[in-house]
Amino acid sequence: MASPGVPLSGELVKELERIPDGEKIKQCIQCGTCSASCPTAYAMDYTPRAVIAAMRAGQLEKVLRSDTAWLCASCYSCTVRCPAGIQFTDMMYALKRLGIKHGITPKDDRGQKLMATFVEDVDESGRSSELWLMAKYFMRTGPQAALRDAAFAFNMWRNRRLKLVPERVKAAEQLKAIKRALERRQG
Amino acid sequence: MDTSKGNGHGASSNGEIRVGVYVCHCGTNIAATVDVAEVVRFAEGLPNVAVAKDYQFMCSEPGQELIQQDITEHKLNRVVVAACSPLMHEPTFRRACAEAGLNPFLFQMANIREQCSWVTTDKPRATEKAKHIVRAAVSRVALHAELQVREVPVNERVLIIGGGIAGIEAALQIADAGKPVILVEREPSIGGRMATFDKTFPTLDCAACILTPKMVSAGQHRNIDIRSYAEVASVSGHVGQFQVSIRRNRRYVDDKKCNGCGLCYQECPAIVSPKSRKVSIEGQPYFVGSYAEGGEARKVTIRQGDRERRKPIKDTPTGDCIFCGKCATACSEVVGAHAIVLRRDESAEAGKQRSLEFNGNCIGCGACVRECPTGALTVTDAQDRQVLHHEMMLGPNKAIRVPTLQAVPNVPFIDEETCIHFRNGGCGHCAEVCPQEAISYDMEEAIEEVEVGSILVATGFDTIDLAPMVQYGWGRYDNVISGLEFEILCHASGSTGGKILKADGTPPKSVAILHCIGSRDEHYHEHCSRVCCMYSLKFAHLVREKVECDVYEFYIDIRAGGKGYEEFYKRLMREDVTFIRGKAAEVTNWPMSPEEEGKLVVKAEDTLLGQIRRVPVDMVILSPALQAREGAQTLAQTLGIGCGGEGFFLERHPKLAPVQTAADGVYVAGACQSPKDIPDSVAQGAAAAANILSLIDKGTFSIEPVVAVIDETLCGGCRTCINMCPYSALSADEERNVAVCESALCKGCGTCVATCPAGAIQQQGYTDAQIRAELEGALGRLAASSAE
Repeated sequence: MASPGVPLSGELVKELERIPDGEKIKQCIQCGTCSASCPTAYAMDYTPRAVIAAMRAGQLEKVLRSDTAWLCASCYSCTVRCPAGIQFTDMMYALKRLGIKHGITPKDDRGQKLMATFVEDVDESGRSSELWLMAKYFMRTGPQAALRDAAFAFNMWRNRRLKLVPERVKAAEQLKAIKRALERRQG
Repeated sequence: MDTSKGNGHGASSNGEIRVGVYVCHCGTNIAATVDVAEVVRFAEGLPNVAVAKDYQFMCSEPGQELIQQDITEHKLNRVVVAACSPLMHEPTFRRACAEAGLNPFLFQMANIREQCSWVTTDKPRATEKAKHIVRAAVSRVALHAELQVREVPVNERVLIIGGGIAGIEAALQIADAGKPVILVEREPSIGGRMATFDKTFPTLDCAACILTPKMVSAGQHRNIDIRSYAEVASVSGHVGQFQVSIRRNRRYVDDKKCNGCGLCYQECPAIVSPKSRKVSIEGQPYFVGSYAEGGEARKVTIRQGDRERRKPIKDTPTGDCIFCGKCATACSEVVGAHAIVLRRDESAEAGKQRSLEFNGNCIGCGACVRECPTGALTVTDAQDRQVLHHEMMLGPNKAIRVPTLQAVPNVPFIDEETCIHFRNGGCGHCAEVCPQEAISYDMEEAIEEVEVGSILVATGFDTIDLAPMVQYGWGRYDNVISGLEFEILCHASGSTGGKILKADGTPPKSVAILHCIGSRDEHYHEHCSRVCCMYSLKFAHLVREKVECDVYEFYIDIRAGGKGYEEFYKRLMREDVTFIRGKAAEVTNWPMSPEEEGKLVVKAEDTLLGQIRRVPVDMVILSPALQAREGAQTLAQTLGIGCGGEGFFLERHPKLAPVQTAADGVYVAGACQSPKDIPDSVAQGAAAAANILSLIDKGTFSIEPVVAVIDETLCGGCRTCINMCPYSALSADEERNVAVCESALCKGCGTCVATCPAGAIQQQGYTDAQIRAELEGALGRLAASSAE
């Protein structure tokens, strides 16, 4: 898949190979449909289209330092609409994995912390509990921010959208075993 | 595999086989890699070979003369030339053999260039391979038989399917050369897509001004027979002699009697109004007429809250209605719609004994309003929208009409959906007023059989259905329109008289033009539709010319590769059109700021800025992808031609035979072959005409004898082969219960030979014995050394 015309770094190439249709990044026509379809693009430092352009230009570090991947809400609008059939959302995950592995992440690490908290939560109980997820997250990023969202959380609780007691799946231990087995296989 | 030493096959049948082998150097193309002298020495030792020689360029005149001399001198009855691909020079050497009195099918070409010298630099192994190739040819040529080329006469008459600009151009060229043409057009008039355009890019000349003269001269040409409102039902036969059935749809107007006076559509009461109309009594809306579907219109009224008021009048009239019943008489007797009924209620009190009742038959014609002596009845447009872009049309908006006033032939047709007569058996106005008595409501579909020698397919394109692409809002938002809808909106003969108006009847202040809708998109069509960039630029110009207006072009790339096209792009930049490089992702009416209130918002990334932009506009024009016509596949099967991946008809060769097809005598031109603009369509139409004229002028068509031959004593009549034949060359002889092959249709693909369970089919020039001999020659070990 590595061709001389597309200077992707070897490791990114390997990551992309794991995604179905990952090599289609070569076929991007830079139309910007992904960016204009993205609900969070307004907050990103590089638009999704620009991320592909940078990756093809071999500027992988710049891509990993940008917050684009970390702000992706996984709504899949870009993937659905992309005229070149690029699996953009899956590629965002690949970028996050690479960034964590090499410690190249954006200065603002809130996205990374939120994701880490989420994964810990799910690892532990098999479910994500919004209240405890946010509580742990704010402990890591600065509790003062929690005050800002308190009213919002209260409203959610009143509308029965926020459970106070965390839930567990029935066989959380089995889930852990599956995860361990997968981790062993992928190394 | 039996590896015989190259002489294991039976080479002799009658008399002595004498093969001449000629090895070509092809300059250095072959000689630099293959040891030509060595190959000649090897060939000399092969069975049946009488003489073997090499020469610098076999295809040159001296080279050909060398062969011809040897044929006489050495009494050769077989010739093998080891040189390039048979695609290149097989015809050359066959001709040379024929001139020397040898049947051209006793010749065989051995390809030692493309298949040998060009694909390696290893000289010894290339030489070995060349020997194998030569031996294969020598061992097969011994089994060749004399074959005869069949000549079929070519009928002069030409069938052209599709009366768009490509079809018209071809028809005129052929007819001017004095050959008869039948031009079949599905629509009631020829002219095709171009007749619906206002201006044409990049010169901006008026489409009608350049097309109408061509349409008229096609209509008046004594060699052109136009069959409009007709379709090709079936095609049989082969090149030179096709039998075609043409189905003529029910037009209800006799084109032989009609003189095109237009009285019928002036008098027709059934209006195909894009707006449903509403008849009111004393200012109260009572019922709604619709051009097509009474039931639909009724639903609209009910939705609008008119259900309560849709009751007969009970009280003494306070206004002008005097219950004279003239309206009811007009409705039932003149129009025949029976939508108004006057009721007399004897039991009721005086003053209330009469009432008017309405039903859903109303077509909104307004005949009742004309009859009403007091003016109590009025007819108004029922909908708020002034302009319905999706339903606009050119020409008169009546049930009996011509598609445009420039129609050729200028013969109206009746639209059964709208016509009162076909809805309730009444009316009959047009038949009454027609001075020529050309209108007959019981006209039947007619099938006409014609014989032609060649067929040109010029059926044009469709545009992609925009409804499934919900993100662009076509069909949801009133002011999102397609490119073809904009053409009619802009057209001087359109319902708005060429004024660019929004649905509410006011001119837009800003317009966005969205490129590549469904083109260059894996989800819809991968191809670039080629014409959209240029017509979108033309739209921008027309909008700026007619309205004081901001125009935005949302594009991925501007593809302006054509004469004067880039210059046109530059011109539009000078005309202050805003170009935003980014494909529009969606169109929404959800405002996020005060200036977006009441507007359509186009969302796109300005990829040159790396910024997401929301552009509020009044009107959005989508440039939909061009795609193959619906039914192209069926027509392709009827004609024995192919369709490519995107459904467009397949040409014989994308570069060197762009208007020919796999079927001899069948040609393609225009946008049915791939998306094409007017200049290219005209060029292809003319090119196809030249191809057809050269076929006609020759008078006969030579059919290669490399065709399937059926041994009727072996054929069991199972018909497996008939279904497998991609060219419809095989058919069943019911009486003798055997398959028969029409050699004029057979392309010698060999599918039937492989399919036949009885081994009853052989292909001339590729018999089993010949192929086996060739394989043995190619695969056997060489005497002196090993090919390994």
